[in-house]
Amino acid sequence: MKRRWTWLAVLAVLLPILTIAAQRGRGRRSPGNDPNPNMAYDGRFTFVRVRFEPLGGSFDLKWDHDYPRAENHFMKILDELSTIRPHMDGSNIHTFSDPEIFKFPVAYVSEPGFWTMDEKELQGVRDYVTKGGFLIFDDFTGEHWYNFEARWREAFPNLRIVQLEKANALFDSFFRIESLEMQHPMNGSAAVFFGAYEDNDPAKRLVMIANYNNDIGDYMEFSDEGFLPISLTNEAYKLAVNYVVYAMTH
Amino acid sequence: MEGLFEFLLKYRPAAFAKGSLGFSPVVPLWLIWLVVGALAALAVAHYARGADGLRRTDQAALGLLRVIAVGALGFALARPVLVIAESIAQRNIVAVVIDDSRSMRIADVNNGPRSKVVTNLVGSADSSLLKSLLPRYQTRVYRVSATGRVNDPSALPYDGTKTRLLSSLLRIEDELAGAPLAGVVVLSDGADNSSTTGGSPGITEQLLSLRSRGIPVFTVGIGSPRFERDVEIARIDAPRSVLRNSTVLLNVVVSQRGLGGLKLPVVVEDSGRILGSTTITMPKNGEAVQVRIRVPASEVGARLLRVHVPVQAGEMVSENNERRTLLVVRDQREKVLYVEGEPRFELKFARRAVDGDPNVQLVTLLRSARDKFLRIGVDDSTELAAGFPRTREELFAYRGIVLGSLEASFFSADQLRMLSDFVSERGGGLLFLGGRGSYAEGGYVGTPLSDAFPFDLAAAPPDTAVRELRAVPTTLGTLHPALQIGPSDSATAARWASLPPLTSVNALVRAKPGATVLLNGVIGEGPGARPLMAVQRFGRGRVMGLAVQDTWLWQMHADIAVADSTHETLWRQMLRWLVADVPDRVDVVAPEESGPGEAVSVSATVSDKAYLRVNGAAVRGAAVAGASASDLSLDWSVDRDGEYRGAFVPERPGVHEVTLTSTMPGDTATSRSAFVRVAEPTDEYFGAELHAGLLKQVAEETGGGYYEPERATDIARDMIYSPTGSTVVKKNDLWDMPLLLIVLLLALGGEWVLRRRRGLA
Repeated sequence: MKRRWTWLAVLAVLLPILTIAAQRGRGRRSPGNDPNPNMAYDGRFTFVRVRFEPLGGSFDLKWDHDYPRAENHFMKILDELSTIRPHMDGSNIHTFSDPEIFKFPVAYVSEPGFWTMDEKELQGVRDYVTKGGFLIFDDFTGEHWYNFEARWREAFPNLRIVQLEKANALFDSFFRIESLEMQHPMNGSAAVFFGAYEDNDPAKRLVMIANYNNDIGDYMEFSDEGFLPISLTNEAYKLAVNYVVYAMTH
Repeated sequence: MEGLFEFLLKYRPAAFAKGSLGFSPVVPLWLIWLVVGALAALAVAHYARGADGLRRTDQAALGLLRVIAVGALGFALARPVLVIAESIAQRNIVAVVIDDSRSMRIADVNNGPRSKVVTNLVGSADSSLLKSLLPRYQTRVYRVSATGRVNDPSALPYDGTKTRLLSSLLRIEDELAGAPLAGVVVLSDGADNSSTTGGSPGITEQLLSLRSRGIPVFTVGIGSPRFERDVEIARIDAPRSVLRNSTVLLNVVVSQRGLGGLKLPVVVEDSGRILGSTTITMPKNGEAVQVRIRVPASEVGARLLRVHVPVQAGEMVSENNERRTLLVVRDQREKVLYVEGEPRFELKFARRAVDGDPNVQLVTLLRSARDKFLRIGVDDSTELAAGFPRTREELFAYRGIVLGSLEASFFSADQLRMLSDFVSERGGGLLFLGGRGSYAEGGYVGTPLSDAFPFDLAAAPPDTAVRELRAVPTTLGTLHPALQIGPSDSATAARWASLPPLTSVNALVRAKPGATVLLNGVIGEGPGARPLMAVQRFGRGRVMGLAVQDTWLWQMHADIAVADSTHETLWRQMLRWLVADVPDRVDVVAPEESGPGEAVSVSATVSDKAYLRVNGAAVRGAAVAGASASDLSLDWSVDRDGEYRGAFVPERPGVHEVTLTSTMPGDTATSRSAFVRVAEPTDEYFGAELHAGLLKQVAEETGGGYYEPERATDIARDMIYSPTGSTVVKKNDLWDMPLLLIVLLLALGGEWVLRRRRGLA
């Protein structure tokens, strides 16, 4: 009897741990979703996703949402539509403290509502943006804003976050985006596009775009399944292509 | 030596050089040689018999001496003569030309000025050279700096600001055309700085003209061939014009005598304000040293830079311690078209690098998809609306072009030819960037544009493998203005050594023979290197090739500090170099400096909007200096299409701004300003040591001679044999020349002595 209780106790401890471990690797080990290999720099465009320790130590990594299907699908679209020659055989994951990230001046940050940084990452993101890097923040909604805004202000206390209008060059860098009306794919809230200009000067380049109440990563991930509306998926791709072309020209 | 020659052979070497040898015997020449031959044979036969018991060597020596004696006697009996044309006394004129330039005031001959030597030689009729000439010739004295004869050579002021020695000789010979001119005597220090005067023919051409006239020129070199103690700003190499806020590299050559090892500051000033300076250590005596000084070009307009070193005690010439150079700082916006075949970070960061530069406008045409273009930085909605320009007028409106990763097949054959003409005919600058669509990898081999590339595209097959390379400046690269990425030479070198590697996808292995490699790419730790950046002239314009795809890494790389401006500086300097001196439709050429009262020649090349030369334009303008203005009207030169020439005489010293406007039916174009500095020339004080080389060359080319002042009176004796003027042919006996007698006596005496020693007499 005592032996049985001992086994139950061991199971009670191990089960949650195994469950958490399985969740933590969600997407990276699931069938058909094998992780992409990190590509060594060779001058070609490579999709870069930023890794960070999620707020609150969640067992959901957050930064890896939609990985790798979103980038895989996006690279196919980018290759098909534009003259950019992206890497189709892989995408990269770096932290802001990783020196390699500086070889890839466009980076995608998913779930910035859970974004945290240590001192090295803080310095890394400052250097990255100041030198000329461009950040795409995506997949956050509602109260996630507060953490995103706090982290941004922590990194760039002098760079104001402003709401972007349709007339911005970002929305005409490849596709002419006719309307900014979009909904979050999961909760339907109205999307708002924010950005920050270098030196807070609208005549200068945008250093980041934030898809608040939006999740273009989700649209791209499920674009081969019909799970989300095709029209909105189209808009998501158009935005993503525009972001990359803008980042490579401005 | 010449005296000994004259003693032995009766006449001076000049006589033998100009005359011909002959014989004037009283009996037939053949009879003399027959008798001489017989006597010589008898002598040889006598000694060859060996009857006197002589050794064979003695037999040979005695026989030879007898033959020499008989031969000398026979030669004298044949009555040799020197046949030569000689000037007839008092029937010929000799022109004496005095170099009366300022350099003749330099006191380097026996602690006295060079002019004193001239006065001693030709100051009056009693002076040594004139005195030696007057018994045989009529003399006329001229000077270099002015026309007309000099009545009192001893009163010359020696104030000529330039020595146009050869052109003066030609002028004086022209003045004496038709007169029996036996020769010209020149008294000079040998400096001819006419080459620094715009429009003057070169020394070689003038020498040819002098030689063709056949009048011998006898030159007397006056001055010290080597100063004891002197320092001189020998040369300044600087761009003629730059864009505002460029960093200008002045290459200054300082030469010196007797100051080896001394440390001296070299200072650059603009209107009394010090722009830059450096301290140099003089190399060993007599050697020159080259230094580079960086100066900012922040003030717009014509800037007169003064480069100087302090005057040292005991210097022979102090005026050569400074030089001035005119630098035109332009504040205009140069329009450069950047054509890119694919969105890539090189484009973004290049645009960002020059974004804040008010003098460079980078207009971008990006092919973002097939037949889809993104235009950035255009002036209006029509610019580049149809993609890459299809007409010369549209393309040639730009002053520079950057060609990114865009394959040759993107362009039509006409567009490729236009790109080539953009450089070679329009004179624009073209920068080729690396990429998968560039160079041979982009299919440019054999296209109309392939000649423009500074690399040999066919030297290796296309290969887009990625190679990581470290950029290492070549020796010429360290001197190139585009590669000055630090505030000093050492900082620039250190910066280049610390930059992270870049990547290339172009298999370039060598530059073209006429190109200059500025950067080499080293793979890994070397030792192999391939050209990474090269430049070349291509027709009227210039081309730069940069075979990497990611200079932006020098901005973004983790090893690059956030505040580092290497990438920005490099791109700005590359583009500024690219558009430096790109001609306008009216392209004015004027000399950098001119003397007061001298006519300033101005020429202009006039083109239409397609940069095709136009001959029927009315080209007018003005040269303005302060309140004074001289009108200018240029006429078509006829020699070349589109070339117009004219001149103006500046009324006063100062920097004159020349602007021209061409007018033709339906089209008017105005030139960019050209600047001419009008000031008293100081050329006389540079390279002021005696230049015997030119004087010797003039003498040699014309059949005259070069003399030092102590031997100048020999001119009178050598000029007798001048072939020009009124001459008479004379036969001068040589049978009685001392050399013949000496040979005869030596041969006979030697034979007698030898016979005595052998007991034969």
